[in-house]
Amino acid sequence: MTAYVIRRMWQMIPTLAGVILLIFFLFNWVGGDPAQVLAGKISNPEQIANIRRQLGVDQPYWYQLWVFVQQVFTFDFGRSWSTNEEVSRILLTRVGPTLTIMVPVLLIETVLAVVFAIMVAYVRGSLTDRAIMVICTTAMSISFLVYIIFGQWLFGFILGWFPVQGWSESFWRNLTNYAPLPIMLAIFVGLAPQLRLYRSFFLEEINQDYVRTARAKGLPEKRVMMKHVLRNAMIPILTNVGIYLPSVFVGSFLLEVFFSVPGLGREIVTAVNRSDFPVIKAVTVYLAVLTMVVNLLVDVMYKLVDPRVSFK
Amino acid sequence: MKRLLAVFAACLACALAAAGPAWAAVERKVLRMSFRTAEAGFDPQRVFDRYSVGVCENLFEGLLTYDYLARPVRLVPLVAEAIPEPEEGGTRYTFRIRPGILFSDDLAFKGSRRELVARDFEYSIKRFRDPRYASPYEWLFEHKIVGLDELAAAAKKSGHLDYDARVAGLEIRDRYTISFKLSEPDFNFLYVLAMPNVVPVAREVIEAYGDDTMAHPVGTGPFVLKDWVRRSKIVLERNPNHRGYELDTRYADPADEWDRRAIDALRGKRLPLLDRVEIYPIEEEQPRFLAFVNHEHDILDETPFEFIDQVLPNGRLAPGLARQGVKVFREEQPEITYDVFNLEDPAVGGYDPQRVALRRAMVLAHDRDQEIGIVRKGQALPAQSPVPPGVVGFDSEFRAGQQDHDVARAKALLDMYGYADRDGDGWRERPDGKPLVIEYKYNAFSQSNRQLAELWVKSMAAIGIRINAGAVQFADLLNDKRVGKFQMAGSAWIADYPDAQNFLQLLYGPNTGQSNEARFRLPEFDRLYRKSQAVPDSPERNALYREMNRLLLAYAPWRLGVHRIFNHLQYPWVKGYKKHPILYTNFKYLDLDVAARQAAAK
Repeated sequence: MTAYVIRRMWQMIPTLAGVILLIFFLFNWVGGDPAQVLAGKISNPEQIANIRRQLGVDQPYWYQLWVFVQQVFTFDFGRSWSTNEEVSRILLTRVGPTLTIMVPVLLIETVLAVVFAIMVAYVRGSLTDRAIMVICTTAMSISFLVYIIFGQWLFGFILGWFPVQGWSESFWRNLTNYAPLPIMLAIFVGLAPQLRLYRSFFLEEINQDYVRTARAKGLPEKRVMMKHVLRNAMIPILTNVGIYLPSVFVGSFLLEVFFSVPGLGREIVTAVNRSDFPVIKAVTVYLAVLTMVVNLLVDVMYKLVDPRVSFK
Repeated sequence: MKRLLAVFAACLACALAAAGPAWAAVERKVLRMSFRTAEAGFDPQRVFDRYSVGVCENLFEGLLTYDYLARPVRLVPLVAEAIPEPEEGGTRYTFRIRPGILFSDDLAFKGSRRELVARDFEYSIKRFRDPRYASPYEWLFEHKIVGLDELAAAAKKSGHLDYDARVAGLEIRDRYTISFKLSEPDFNFLYVLAMPNVVPVAREVIEAYGDDTMAHPVGTGPFVLKDWVRRSKIVLERNPNHRGYELDTRYADPADEWDRRAIDALRGKRLPLLDRVEIYPIEEEQPRFLAFVNHEHDILDETPFEFIDQVLPNGRLAPGLARQGVKVFREEQPEITYDVFNLEDPAVGGYDPQRVALRRAMVLAHDRDQEIGIVRKGQALPAQSPVPPGVVGFDSEFRAGQQDHDVARAKALLDMYGYADRDGDGWRERPDGKPLVIEYKYNAFSQSNRQLAELWVKSMAAIGIRINAGAVQFADLLNDKRVGKFQMAGSAWIADYPDAQNFLQLLYGPNTGQSNEARFRLPEFDRLYRKSQAVPDSPERNALYREMNRLLLAYAPWRLGVHRIFNHLQYPWVKGYKKHPILYTNFKYLDLDVAARQAAAK
């Protein structure tokens, strides 16, 4: 397994190089000139050139790329072009609020989706199964934005159960006061597609020969579902959670904007709007690294879930 | 029993100890509100977005400011002892600063109290020209103060501005006196000095914090920055070093209800009265609105257009809000929206009758009533000139008939100048037979901009002109407009200072490549502009402005848009509220009735 992990880590280097090149060229191709925004209402070409010089965007592309590569390996992306705040500080201070919302979302959503999926798979074809599938399809057809706008209005304003927006310095207060409504809405949105997906994983397993054999041997249905089906369906479920995990760190831009959560998602979109390349670079590179690491961890976990899996 | 009593006494003491601070906190006057856009920071020489500048207004103080109640706006001294008269034909202004004004405490002062002196103004004005800061307001002091351009030019060469070098136009006469010598007469210079960016910073603070000055604002203002979670929360608290103000009621209008209320609430009191101001930047309209109606905020500045029908159905405050005593302050902003034609473009540019006719026809065919009624939900006034109401030089009598919606006139103009449909496809061609397709660029980030672009397409289709509307990134749009890489584009301007010159300079020929996005170069307009600059506010200057307006309408480098109206809401426990057209914030004049707020919350 160690050799496998080392080999996979070695393979990450060309992937990371590809990511660096892609970000760099995409930004230089489609990203706006930040100097235009920073120059203010009345500026002349000389001032814009001065800002470009200070930001380093007047340097040859190869030099800018070299600086970028150095930043990736030193983990120092300098300061934000729009606010002059250290990029490392931006990431450190914004990731906490994002995780406060997204970690509970990930955990609760996964548990609920697995539980409900196994339940509806168990009663597949029944009226309950069909009704839940109709509800899921309807729920998936509605935009996240509608959930947020309606949920905020209903639960925050009309019913007054939660504040409509806000964030504090206290983790506990955030978790109990400000985070519940965004968490609840994110779960509403994410649950339906996951439930459908996991149900199909379970159904696929239920139709396998080993399940028929287990039943033929007289094993109780509960044991068949919870031990055999669940364990085998866990591999695709784990894959799905692995794909989802890096986005937990980036958060949901819409939730953060609507609930005034000072998280990373909101920061990224603001950075894109302001052509704030240092922030965009840092977030994208770290996210790419995180995705690769999570993928590796998921692959390793396959082995833990199913000992028959071998590393090649 | 004794033991029981002891336990009871201990419990009571604990409860009181716990309740004490909480009770005290409730008594504090804490104003909560939102900003509709996130701030960038609080270094006054480096920020230009109105929200950052609005916070700076409370942390720093300039030589001059505006009277809170006077309309039209009126300059008053702030840290200066008086407003000086222009000397030497409008080229010299000498200020004496009030002694004893202190900066707020900061580690950079190493434990000593720091008094504001004339040198702080000299230092701060030099910062506008320091290439290191790339100040967005460098233009305020460009070609203006004797000797400052030379210092800036040397700094551009060396990359380092010499703050110790003497500048003839920034003359320090004594500890408290500074005299500005201008290279040309400028009767708007006092307005420049009243801008919230033109405020003194202490050199030792700037040097101590280096690249982090955005987060360490140290001024002489009535508030200090207590806490700042970027783009999420800004907390201001009363500056203990501040000397305090008194409301000046000399220029109040006794017939004005807002003035009367402010005077009743504030007369004789030492301002500021708020202990703390909490500002939450909330970019989305719904949470901003709900936070107010949910009593989480005390003020809602700029009610979102989406909620206008709920707040002001049929132009009257909604009964639900009226029952709570909510007040609405309707403000016509000193700003203008407009669409620019690129006068250097071969299809829509030029000064020959044919192309002028095309632009004028397009302006006539644009349906501004739909813009105001549908896109702006009725919250705008049609602009008659580039100068908005509330600005010195605004002419309320001036009417721009050439901008009225008149499709028949537009078609007649096009027919007369040879813009006809030659190939029978329903669209007009140019007089030389080439196709007539006009590209319209707008900022992709705004939903209302998209609607405005669609209105252009629809309005022009009615007269047989094809418009391709294209959304572009904000930075690219700015660049394209500056370098003239466009045919038509949307634009807007908000007053930096309340004088018509700030708006008319947008059409001054030499400003091409900067603020003159239309690249309009009309010698007659430029001549009138230069002449108006050398004249103080007077009927003579207004006549020059009127003539310039006529030229604008005749040559149509712009389609005049609207002056937007904003509706600001406050709960009845907010006292002393009046929105100023130039100042962004009014925290130092507000008071809170905490008991009334608590009663409403029950």
